[in-house]
Amino acid sequence: MTNPLKKIKQVSADYKLLDARDKKRFWTDGILNNALYILMAIFVIYTASVRPNFLTLGSFANLITQVAAYLPMALGIAGCIVLTGTDLSAGRISGLTAAFAAVMLQKTDFANKMFQSLPKVTLGWILLVMLGVVLVGAIIGLVNGYFVAKFSLHPFIVTLSTQLITYGIILWFFGLNGNNGQPFSGLSKEYKEFVGGELFRLGNVAVPKYVLYAVLLVALMWFIWNKTSFGKNMFAVGSNAEAAKVSGVNVFWTTVLVHTLAGAMYGYAGFVEGVRSGSVAATTGLNAECDAIAACVIGGVSFVGGTGSISGIILGVFILRIIFVALTMLGVDSSSLYIIKGAIILCACALDMRKYLVKK
Amino acid sequence: MEQNIKESQTPEKQPREFRGLYKHVKISVKTLDIIIVTCLVVIVLLVALDLRNPGFTITFESKGGTDVASQNQMYGELLEVPEDPTREGYEFTGWYLDSACEELWEEDEDKIQSDITLYAGWEKK
Repeated sequence: MTNPLKKIKQVSADYKLLDARDKKRFWTDGILNNALYILMAIFVIYTASVRPNFLTLGSFANLITQVAAYLPMALGIAGCIVLTGTDLSAGRISGLTAAFAAVMLQKTDFANKMFQSLPKVTLGWILLVMLGVVLVGAIIGLVNGYFVAKFSLHPFIVTLSTQLITYGIILWFFGLNGNNGQPFSGLSKEYKEFVGGELFRLGNVAVPKYVLYAVLLVALMWFIWNKTSFGKNMFAVGSNAEAAKVSGVNVFWTTVLVHTLAGAMYGYAGFVEGVRSGSVAATTGLNAECDAIAACVIGGVSFVGGTGSISGIILGVFILRIIFVALTMLGVDSSSLYIIKGAIILCACALDMRKYLVKK
Repeated sequence: MEQNIKESQTPEKQPREFRGLYKHVKISVKTLDIIIVTCLVVIVLLVALDLRNPGFTITFESKGGTDVASQNQMYGELLEVPEDPTREGYEFTGWYLDSACEELWEEDEDKIQSDITLYAGWEKK
């Protein structure tokens, strides 16, 4: 780690040596490359000045809760982006696993219970269901990874088809046992407590337990990305698959495993989403991958491939959430929010390309 | 000889080639700058445009009582409780979410999350 103070001194010393034209370029580069951070800062300052309750502990608790909910999917999808791919099936996979988790963990005495003869909801059963849905996600991820790696198909094609297939399975599952497409509700108290139970209070807002789980997940992913040979292979394949192959990296298994790991993350995201949304409908998880991809790109996981960091992903999710929390507080219409989201993604991609082109 | 000179010049002039998902993208830094600035302007304009809209509208349907002015509130705010309307021969029982007056709007608890219409509840004196 370099000392940030020293770095600033270094930059200012370099700056003094520049001539007028380079100084101008220094500023335009600085402003444009950090455009999204500046945008966020403007929104935060403006929102804080017109809505004083934006800067309370309670609203901060709300923010980290949202970040913890959106983070797992972004952590998963980032691996696919590092491999110069993408994953369009993320949202639907989490929708499917949310539905599975909800059905398995309904109240024992709930009248509309889908499967009557399930065991009583205990901690062991909850953990088993969690492992189960993570496994379901991982299997779909494995299918994605297999087709991408085996036939060198573009992930766009493969994951688009698994997205639709998964949606079909979701609809089919919702129609089972005379459920006829009703949302799954009546989640058991134990499940709600395990995921959304109070960890601690900030201000007067409870921070749920899944914030802690997200922290653990970040630690796990950081370890996988930085400390294992699998992580290093992932970056090698992402920056140049041919070169990686020549230097002895198993490109096939790396690709398969990255997608499987991503699938497992979506599975976990679904497990949390079940509690977060209270009742799971067929539309749960729709378009969730867009937010995750946007967060990754904002956080510097480049579509060029082979670059990205866990801290960047966290930052990306934070920035996206701060912007949306601020805009919702200001009362910006949800239809405008979609346009803004699209503009942010386009802007983030342009920034991504710009940084790549300008880099010496 | 000429070939050689050309080749040695090209790496200087040509921008870096993209890899990955941007593989075939041909775009200059200037165009990218325009895109970035346009996106930012669009975002800020949209927000500014939306802020002219002061929030969600709460309409009051007094159902035969005196009229109550509608108000605008932001997401997550409490209702600014208006003065109770009056009606001949009836007593006001509160504001309800449905016209059948079954779901009471809890003035201290319920927060505004969308445009709503509230209906006055009346009880015969």
